[in-house]
Amino acid sequence: MAGIKLENVTMKYGSLVALNNVSFECPEGEFFTLLGPSGAGKTTTLELIAGIKRPSKGFIYIGDRMVNDIPPEERDVAMAFENYALYPQFTVYENVAFPLRAPRRKGELTSAQERERVNEITTLLGINEYLGRKPQQLSGGQKQRVSLARAMVRRPAVYLLDEPIAHLDAKLKVSARSTLKHLAHQLGITILYVTHNYREALALSDRVLAIRKGIVEQIGKPEEIYESPASDFVARLVGDPPINLIDVELENGANGLYVNAVGNFQFPLNENLTSRVTGICREKNGKRVTRIGVRPPYVGISPEKLSDASFQLPVYASVREAKSTVVTFELTHSFFQALLGVSVHFKPGEMVWVEIDQSKLYFFNETVELTK
Amino acid sequence: MSTVEARKIWKIYDGDVVAVKDVSFRCEDQEFVAVLGPSGCGKSSTLRMIAGLEDISKGELLFDDKVVNHLSPRNRNIALAFESYALYPPLTVYENIGFPLLASGMEKKEIDRKVRAMAEDLELTEVLGRKPGKLSGGQQQRVSLARALVRDPSVLLLDEPLSHMDQRVRTVIRARIRRIHDELTTTTIYVTHDQEEAVALADKIIVMSMGVIQQVGMVDDLFNYPANRFVAGFIGEPSMNFLNGKVESQNRVALQNGDALVPWSVDENIPQSFINRDVIIGIRPENVQANKKPLESGVKAQVKVVEYLGETRILTLSYGDSEIKAVVPINFQVEESENLWLSGAPGDVHIFDAETEQALIKMKS
Repeated sequence: MAGIKLENVTMKYGSLVALNNVSFECPEGEFFTLLGPSGAGKTTTLELIAGIKRPSKGFIYIGDRMVNDIPPEERDVAMAFENYALYPQFTVYENVAFPLRAPRRKGELTSAQERERVNEITTLLGINEYLGRKPQQLSGGQKQRVSLARAMVRRPAVYLLDEPIAHLDAKLKVSARSTLKHLAHQLGITILYVTHNYREALALSDRVLAIRKGIVEQIGKPEEIYESPASDFVARLVGDPPINLIDVELENGANGLYVNAVGNFQFPLNENLTSRVTGICREKNGKRVTRIGVRPPYVGISPEKLSDASFQLPVYASVREAKSTVVTFELTHSFFQALLGVSVHFKPGEMVWVEIDQSKLYFFNETVELTK
Repeated sequence: MSTVEARKIWKIYDGDVVAVKDVSFRCEDQEFVAVLGPSGCGKSSTLRMIAGLEDISKGELLFDDKVVNHLSPRNRNIALAFESYALYPPLTVYENIGFPLLASGMEKKEIDRKVRAMAEDLELTEVLGRKPGKLSGGQQQRVSLARALVRDPSVLLLDEPLSHMDQRVRTVIRARIRRIHDELTTTTIYVTHDQEEAVALADKIIVMSMGVIQQVGMVDDLFNYPANRFVAGFIGEPSMNFLNGKVESQNRVALQNGDALVPWSVDENIPQSFINRDVIIGIRPENVQANKKPLESGVKAQVKVVEYLGETRILTLSYGDSEIKAVVPINFQVEESENLWLSGAPGDVHIFDAETEQALIKMKS
């Protein structure tokens, strides 16, 4: 078992910069996740750590050892990818034991030791009773556990997992997630995990690194990433429906500062937020502008006026779920959504009153482009 | 404009593989109906029979109360979009979308207006000049969808039309599909394995498993009054917890908790004949009440995993040799390996027959 450290790592493919001066440290035993959209540099980071690629600049450490010049097979890492199909002709036992029998590891373990290893991991994953079965005799969830067992049967210094449960359907994913987290804690292993799925990142990780176009945007505990995002980019990376980002103008009104977007989207800002917003707004065409953010659960909707801070908007679309409703409004540059904790229906075009819970309001510099 | 009705239809392949078994349902004119089920449940076979792409082995299919079993696909005035796209490779995106309109003899100017409006709705404006080979899987799927939606057919059949799109696009396109359906006068049948999609889109959901319709209903019916254990476990995420228990009286069941029996109340009468019999007790993770201190109606369980999800936490607890999941509010602080006592409000407890797995209470009358 060991930790991982990247020091000022840059990776270029010709003129394309895939990673730009990335530094982070994942201590021994931590579940550390790289979260970002596709093309952000997540998989490149894993490949550099595994030694499949060599960084253009910077240093990579596994434990105390600088590994830049050490070939992949001597780095003691296990890497599992999104798609790891099982061998249909092998039993569950043979599938799980497969990595232990690689030619390079021949003679490392006696067959009794091998059996012990396989038993340990399959017991932890609850598939010990199926060792003699072939993959086609298993359910989807069981197969997925077998894959996971195979990825984790070795005891390397670090595990590198690239979207290991991305291909599972939503239901299996929920159970696989908790299984993986339980396993990681039981074994006390170091895991570097890559995903674009924010639920996996928040649910599984001790810490999360949010990455965008090869640049680290934020490193923090899941709570910090969700509740105190460092940028509009990070804010939008976590949460479903995604956080509402709206570019607004600030105007002086009778009762202090007003937030003004398109049409009726207008409300007086609570006084205690004035100093926060003045620290982050900027001048544009003689007006003060900023970007506000509010997550959909903190947008209230009512057929009647709620307060002086509420405003009227026409419903663009209303989508019911079993115990909630997502109501969408159309603004000039973006959609604006509310997540209600009840199952109700609003007709498209219907006018409703909207109110934002200002204790949950964020202010950002504009770094991401807003699109509908 | 059409109603679609299946009367006891069967699909039997190779003489003995039953894919669809005695399925009956009715889609009203302009209704949006989702057929929901896991892979292999018979939902796609059902849709293909409606489309006329598969023969109906037994039973009758009616459009507007007229039997259409013998009609070829082209004579059914249906539009289709399938998971795999079947686009014309030599044609541009623009030509692919406009193709069915051109074939129907519509004026060029009108075609242009419709194609561009549809491309705008499905975020394809920028790729209108490209050939399908130059598109991502998700984009190709959107072209296929656009081609189906542009026609204003009487029946629109969609089979997993969003499966290859990434999450963000999927949510947007989903909302647009419903909007387009509302603007057209079509009856839509939508096949999916994704309950979130079905719930978000449909007026009515048909849940299938093993070739058989398990339940037909609105979202709330399926969620609050599941007809059997399959539907109860399939609808809702994380899935409903199922625990073994015994009926003590018509309003009370007992759960085995170590050596003790823990009583849970229910708010409807369990049939008299089930007293002293084994049942399956169901409770949804979001309805599990987690207590830090022992209580008479609490089963003791140990926290195995805590998952933070921003607005809530999901707990996985071990209870005997099984697991219970509980969704708790974000301010409920809890540590791994802590013991909690779990209970359920009488209105939230479901009871299923241990043998037939059919619901014994909370049935939609």
